[in-house]
Amino acid sequence: MWRSGRGLGTSVKNTADTGLCVPGPLTRRLDPRLTDMTMRRLLPGLGFAVLLAAPVPAQAPMSAIDSARHVLNRLAYGASPGQIAAIAHDGVMKWLDRQLGFNEVHDPALAVQEGIFDVLRTSRLEMQELQQKNKAQVQRAQAIGDSAARQKVLDQLRMDQQGDRRSLQSLLGQLQAVTMVRAVASDRQLDEILVDFWTNHFNVFMNKNQDRAYFADYLENTIRGHALGKFEDLLTATAKSPAMLYYLDNAQSVADGADARLAAGRGGRGGVTNPRRGLLPPNSINPMNPAAQAAQRRAPRGLNENYARELMELHTLGVDGGYTQQDVIAVARVLTGWTIDRTDAGYTFRGPVHDDLPKVVLGRKFDAGHGEDEGMRLLKMLANEPATMHHVSAQLCARFVNDVAPDGCIDDAVRAWKRSGGDIRDVVRAIVHSPDFWAPANVLSKVKTPLEFVASALRAVNGVPDATPRLAQRVAQLGEPLFQHATPDGYGERQQDWVNSGALLARMNFAVQLASGRLPGVTVNLDNVIVLTDDHAALVASVDQVVLGGAMTNQTRQTILKELADVPDAQMARALAVGLAIGGPEFQRQ
Amino acid sequence: MAISRRAFMRAGGLALVSLGADPIFLDRAAYALRSAGGAFAGKKTLVCLFQRGAVDGLSMIVPAGDPWYWQERQRIALPKEQLIPLNGMFALHPRLAPLKPLWDQHSLAIVHAVGSPSTTRSHFDAQDYMESGTPDVKSTPDGWANRFCSHAAEHANTPFRAVAFGPQLPRTMAGSAPSLAIDDLRTFGMRAAQASGEQKLTRAFEELYQGAATGLVASSSAESFEAIKMLKTANPTSLPPANGANYGRNKLATSLQQVAQLIRADLGVEIAFVDVGGWDTHVNQGADQGQLATRLDELASALAAFTTDLGERMRDVVVITMSEFGRTVKENGTSGTDHGHGTAMMIMGGDVRGGKVYGAWPGLAPEQRYEGRDLAITTDFRSVFSEVLQGHLGPANVSQVFPGFDHPSTVGMFG
Repeated sequence: MWRSGRGLGTSVKNTADTGLCVPGPLTRRLDPRLTDMTMRRLLPGLGFAVLLAAPVPAQAPMSAIDSARHVLNRLAYGASPGQIAAIAHDGVMKWLDRQLGFNEVHDPALAVQEGIFDVLRTSRLEMQELQQKNKAQVQRAQAIGDSAARQKVLDQLRMDQQGDRRSLQSLLGQLQAVTMVRAVASDRQLDEILVDFWTNHFNVFMNKNQDRAYFADYLENTIRGHALGKFEDLLTATAKSPAMLYYLDNAQSVADGADARLAAGRGGRGGVTNPRRGLLPPNSINPMNPAAQAAQRRAPRGLNENYARELMELHTLGVDGGYTQQDVIAVARVLTGWTIDRTDAGYTFRGPVHDDLPKVVLGRKFDAGHGEDEGMRLLKMLANEPATMHHVSAQLCARFVNDVAPDGCIDDAVRAWKRSGGDIRDVVRAIVHSPDFWAPANVLSKVKTPLEFVASALRAVNGVPDATPRLAQRVAQLGEPLFQHATPDGYGERQQDWVNSGALLARMNFAVQLASGRLPGVTVNLDNVIVLTDDHAALVASVDQVVLGGAMTNQTRQTILKELADVPDAQMARALAVGLAIGGPEFQRQ
Repeated sequence: MAISRRAFMRAGGLALVSLGADPIFLDRAAYALRSAGGAFAGKKTLVCLFQRGAVDGLSMIVPAGDPWYWQERQRIALPKEQLIPLNGMFALHPRLAPLKPLWDQHSLAIVHAVGSPSTTRSHFDAQDYMESGTPDVKSTPDGWANRFCSHAAEHANTPFRAVAFGPQLPRTMAGSAPSLAIDDLRTFGMRAAQASGEQKLTRAFEELYQGAATGLVASSSAESFEAIKMLKTANPTSLPPANGANYGRNKLATSLQQVAQLIRADLGVEIAFVDVGGWDTHVNQGADQGQLATRLDELASALAAFTTDLGERMRDVVVITMSEFGRTVKENGTSGTDHGHGTAMMIMGGDVRGGKVYGAWPGLAPEQRYEGRDLAITTDFRSVFSEVLQGHLGPANVSQVFPGFDHPSTVGMFG
């Protein structure tokens, strides 16, 4: 048996850790095979939602509707019309099971929509060719002496890029556009949420030079391919991704002295035009003067500790995870040789630049001479460190439960992590089963990120984004330009990251535009979702159900009714009511 | 309106200044006119500019007189002949040339080997500490600028007292005292086809948020609506750059231009905050050209435009630059620099005693470095902040702004 009883009105916590077992009125199992129906049979007479909130018997049970709304707020980009009632009817856990086995969720409509985005059918190598071509064109243009002529050529290049659906710029715009389409329309909502989570956890800045070539593959294969798998596999995939190798500079990090050895092995450096060709790209955005470039080519390369530090600080152990500066250097040395093979735009291990001396990481010895295996062993070790389990679990709990991740929820997640060997599905399931997930204090406690706000607004009114990046550009205006967080920490998860005066006004403006059908890049037909009537009370009731899932406060209702009083036209009244509801305070929360 | 004693004293100060050639601060007549006007005319303003990503202070303010600088930076040391000498030891990066006139007029001070006593080399922790003002204490809920505002009631009647430019409110400004985040002044407010629609929406949303919002959403929205009303009257974005100031087209320049517009419109800005990123130069940071040079070029051009635009008003404005830490003394294996410790800060405007590099120079020899690799710290960043707050904005209870920091050292930049 798992455990029961945290939150029984006692202060007992972490009973499993102390070996205590506090019996409670209800017991829960985490067996995924246990369906809602079985649970209902096991506990006749209890409302289904009571099960979910079981360990907090002092509180009034959440209704099935409230439970469904909560789940759609946290594990999806909000509810689409009718979805709350449907999930409340079928059972929240049934929906969760379906989402966690997401490959079984067939979504032919989405597949058709995805079909129009060329970027999903463009290989990393093709992207690299486009990026190289683009770079060469820009460099040629920048070499033009006359500034007016130079600007003209650069402007023309930009125009050409915009007009060509197969240009690098268009393809990257498509990646943002398809992300919005999926967030709004995918039936695999939890998958989309987790892709967003891991995209920020393993953040890569899409516009960093060559990352323009690698990022689409990173998002589609590295992140999406492992978002609901084992953490260790996800970590390893990111470590070997050209996108991450380039972003955090590991592609360029070599053992100190490796160049000299390489040169010596080839009978002197002069015999090789450039030992780095194919291994190392020259910096592409800010070409230096020829003398400086020549000086750089002559000088031997060495270690770069950028990735090593962020790997431990952000991706695995956490900043308080107990590593030292010496560990950072040792990890960087272990990972020398992990680089990009430009011939296939993929990962490769280059033994000759690997540091083949022994290293010590977190007190554990890495014997000399094991090459690539040292890195594999290192990643496995880091993925399974208790500090990593705790750090990543806390981030997941902050995402799903509360900005300040509750200890009990973290414990539940860590236990599931240990039990499953870091299976992300099990960890997510444990979080959703955690009493903290359902605690009244945590319901509607989080503020939506700009992406969550925009996607949930479209879902609420069945808005359909087009194939342009215009909707993503609105998300950018609200403060979250997709895949363009320059620093490796990714976008924040807490309300103070997003709530401020300017951002709130921008959300209100977005809502009004969306509701009136004037939002560029989006089609909205309110006729399909909200009644058209001169009866303002009926209108506002309909808006309450559709937009806020029935959670509108009386104050909001009265304010909207007052503003509707002098609006003579039913269409305008409906647009105003929807705009105020989406731009209003309740809809900012989840 | 009667001219206050403070305004009178300032006028006296101006008379003294006008004896010397002062090409940056030309706009005296306009200044005198305005200082008799708006409610907040003559208020002191501090502009904080955060160089996120850890700027290489050794490239920004080059210790050209320290032989180890040349020894350790074969690839990224600046060409000697291009350096702009400041004194026997230090020189400006050539791309900071637009700031040299400020130095010559004693309006630009530099503090070198400055930073946080925390040993962290994490960007995010170090930024957090510099913004909370409490190194190694993560639980501090608010930022130092916000705490300063909570203890100075003088400006309480304007929502523009603390303004950050950018899509997010920085940690420095977060806390119980009101503060605004404005990404772009030109789009701040409700937008509708007609003015009547704009008013209706503004009123409706204000009421919605008054009624149903709680916590941060409530306070932030209240500040928004108050600010909208003031902007409508003052219309700061209609002010063109003065004195021939030429702002570039980048985000930093636009933000600084809008800070200047708020100051010139006398909206009562006491602390303004602007972020500028791109300093994390691990690879190919370059020397006189390259990525760091490009960033410094933007920085210096924007600051020069800002000080030109404000003209005489710079007497009331101090700009301070900051960054979470510096970078390694020795260049790394990829022609860049890794995370280090001490760095340099620039302080310009107001009554700062410029034309001087403050702080003891610890030296760059290996045994003089922090942990054998980084520029050591001889001045705590909180000493600099404290002195700027007290020297420029007026009496501040430093122990409340920087709790646990009981013994700020005297840098000597003011008075």
